[in-house]
Amino acid sequence: MDATCPSCGAGLETSLACGACGVLMLTDDAACPFAVFGLEPGFDVDLKELKVRLRRFTRLVHPDFFALEGEQALAKAERNNALLNAAYGVLADEVRRAERLVESLGGPTEKELGSMPQAFLMEVMEWNETLEEASPGSTGWLELERDLTEHRDRISTEIGAALTPLPQPGAESLTGIRQSLNARRYVDRALGRIAASAGPS
Amino acid sequence: MGYIELEVLEDQPKRVVIGIDLGTTNSLPAIWKDGRPEVLEVEGEAALIPSVVHVSDNGTAVVGRTARARSMDDPAHTVHSIKRFMGRSLGELDESVLRRLPYKVSQTERGLVQVEVGGKRFTPQEISALILREVAAQASVAMGGAEVLSAVITVPAYFDDAQRQATRDAARLAGLEVLRIVNEPTAASLAYGLDQKEEGTVAVYDLGGGTFDVSILSIEEGVFQVLSTNGDTSLGGDDLDAALVDLLRGELEGAVDDAVFEEPAFRQAARLAAEKAKIALSKDPAADLVISIPELGVNARRTVTREEFEALSAPFVERSLRCCERALKDAGLEPGDVDEVVLVGGSTRVPLVRAEVERFFGRAPHTELNPDQVVALGAAAQAEVLMGGSRDILLMDVTPLSLGLETMGGAAEKLIQRNSRIPCSVKEGFTTYADNQSAIDFHVLQGERELAADCRSLGRFKLTGIPPMPAGLPRVGVKFHLDADGILTVSAKEESTGASASIEVKPSHGLTEDEVSAMLEASFKNAKKDFEERRRVDLIAEIGIMLRHATANLAVAEDRLDRESMEDLREAIASAKEARLCAELDLVQIARDTLDRATMPLAAVLMDSVVKEAVSGKKLGDL
Repeated sequence: MDATCPSCGAGLETSLACGACGVLMLTDDAACPFAVFGLEPGFDVDLKELKVRLRRFTRLVHPDFFALEGEQALAKAERNNALLNAAYGVLADEVRRAERLVESLGGPTEKELGSMPQAFLMEVMEWNETLEEASPGSTGWLELERDLTEHRDRISTEIGAALTPLPQPGAESLTGIRQSLNARRYVDRALGRIAASAGPS
Repeated sequence: MGYIELEVLEDQPKRVVIGIDLGTTNSLPAIWKDGRPEVLEVEGEAALIPSVVHVSDNGTAVVGRTARARSMDDPAHTVHSIKRFMGRSLGELDESVLRRLPYKVSQTERGLVQVEVGGKRFTPQEISALILREVAAQASVAMGGAEVLSAVITVPAYFDDAQRQATRDAARLAGLEVLRIVNEPTAASLAYGLDQKEEGTVAVYDLGGGTFDVSILSIEEGVFQVLSTNGDTSLGGDDLDAALVDLLRGELEGAVDDAVFEEPAFRQAARLAAEKAKIALSKDPAADLVISIPELGVNARRTVTREEFEALSAPFVERSLRCCERALKDAGLEPGDVDEVVLVGGSTRVPLVRAEVERFFGRAPHTELNPDQVVALGAAAQAEVLMGGSRDILLMDVTPLSLGLETMGGAAEKLIQRNSRIPCSVKEGFTTYADNQSAIDFHVLQGERELAADCRSLGRFKLTGIPPMPAGLPRVGVKFHLDADGILTVSAKEESTGASASIEVKPSHGLTEDEVSAMLEASFKNAKKDFEERRRVDLIAEIGIMLRHATANLAVAEDRLDRESMEDLREAIASAKEARLCAELDLVQIARDTLDRATMPLAAVLMDSVVKEAVSGKKLGDL
């Protein structure tokens, strides 16, 4: 990132605070999660590095370090730390990260795309039937779980490939990515149902 | 006895922040000193203050050991385990808990729990405030008189918003500024991490008197990051006591009238007998439950073996392990991924608890730290961080419960998922359904259930001041913010005009701002009276010690003192004995001072003989 601290002029690693002089920045509520983490927008994110940065940046913005600085500074720290945590939530989850990229490049939202193709919806209905009829742990159940996991991984690879390198703003390919993301939601929901009935109550 | 006071602390720090473990059974202050946290001590012992309040019929309250001592002879005026009622409504409480209480509880107009003692009504916040005041006073004594104005206070991790707010209100009523509310298991992990200097994944299993928490943390480069937390705010050692009380009742059934079981004296004696037996059973293979109240015709002894006790405890321990399972699942871990299990809370001394925790995690728990002190120590470490003393330590905590809104259909729509890192904000858009509608109501919930009715209601919010516009046009952005204390604040803005809408809050299970202010005012009025009463009780305790010492050495006095001094001493002893029952502070003070003076000659004689003994048989050159 090229931004510099308005207070001391040092280069900024995160849009939330200056690592050199410690001053907190006032950023928009809808701060770009990539800017918050000092990363170039892109689908590939190193999760380990993300965690390291989360810890490093939390040290800059956590309210614990502003307890004696007065109400205003404390409120700013609360706000910036909340933004940091929200940005981490987006970047650490590949679906949310992809959705954010599609959105920022002007791609359609989930609602704008409209309903999924008929064939796909038929498939979803079949999954649900299996989940209702087969008992947890049975052959049919386990087969479905395996199929859905494969399906999910396939979609992930597709989305990743389509977003690397990032398409141009407004590119037609964004519609296809949005469709994959919507399909992924259905798959995740079904897998969630499987996990819920397998785990402890 | 006359004694000399030493002025040790000459240059006291301007601002002292202590850590307070505000427990169900006991409370404890700690402070950061010389690079590490330290439990505060009074007279060479940890300043462990029983979380018990005795309120006499004239309305004066005493706290701690003195209050606990009254619990046997005056149970109906002695309040214990108040933490279980913090931020709760009477309607939510389990009937079985209420029918065991030796003191009376009722509800306020809005349904909040209140206790009725000494002809007065107290909310749990007020009782907790009395406890906090005593903790701060003891801490001040331990620090040579330094005034305590700010504190870090711990709460169970699984406390919801209302319970946290209630704790914060209690501190305000006690005249304490709360710098941070820290989760107990998180504080414990901090004390553990500082002590052991180990990194890795840690599970903190915290079974206290009334609450259970489990937190899974990762400790890495001084960052204590909570991965998940789970628990039960009404599960603890009190439940094990209750199971033993039931056993005792069973023994007496038929032998005494059932009405006896409702007597405060019975409830209290049974509770204490159970507690005693429970503690004994942690060491011995069997213990006796003994109760004897001749006035009620109650006399019973029941031997309980450890096997029997373990069978009674098993369901409660099992409940705690289900919480551990859920916490691990939320952290995405298996029991084997945990590098260390830290035990916190007095109830983890029960052998069955230790054995079951070991079986569940597949490793022996870490037991080097004192489970009664570790939370207070962690709170003191956090206080040091907040005071700017250390940037090396960082706590990253989570919210234990999901936060949601009630939808039109009565479902709960989740805005913030449980185990989200705090601080945390979510923005939600609202609009109007009618033309020129100027207000919108919404209902905030906390909990994991799908239906609003099954979640815990935090409060009803009313957004007002929306500019007149056609239906559906206003865009009101409402921001829900969970702060670093895990407490919710809500703010709103009409986005098309930029007008900030105002919000009225009606907490479902807590005090309103007005109620807290009114209580604060009342507490100022009572402060002088309370202070005097406290002083009186302290003096009486001091007189007791002086009397014991004087009577023990009466023979020496007879032998060595002149007639006049001896007469003075006898008179002073007699009036001091009377003064112990006196309600007037001034008279008690005079009696204490007179006794102090009258024992001076005796003290001199005793000191003299000590010196003589020490030097006898030694040559001058040895001295």
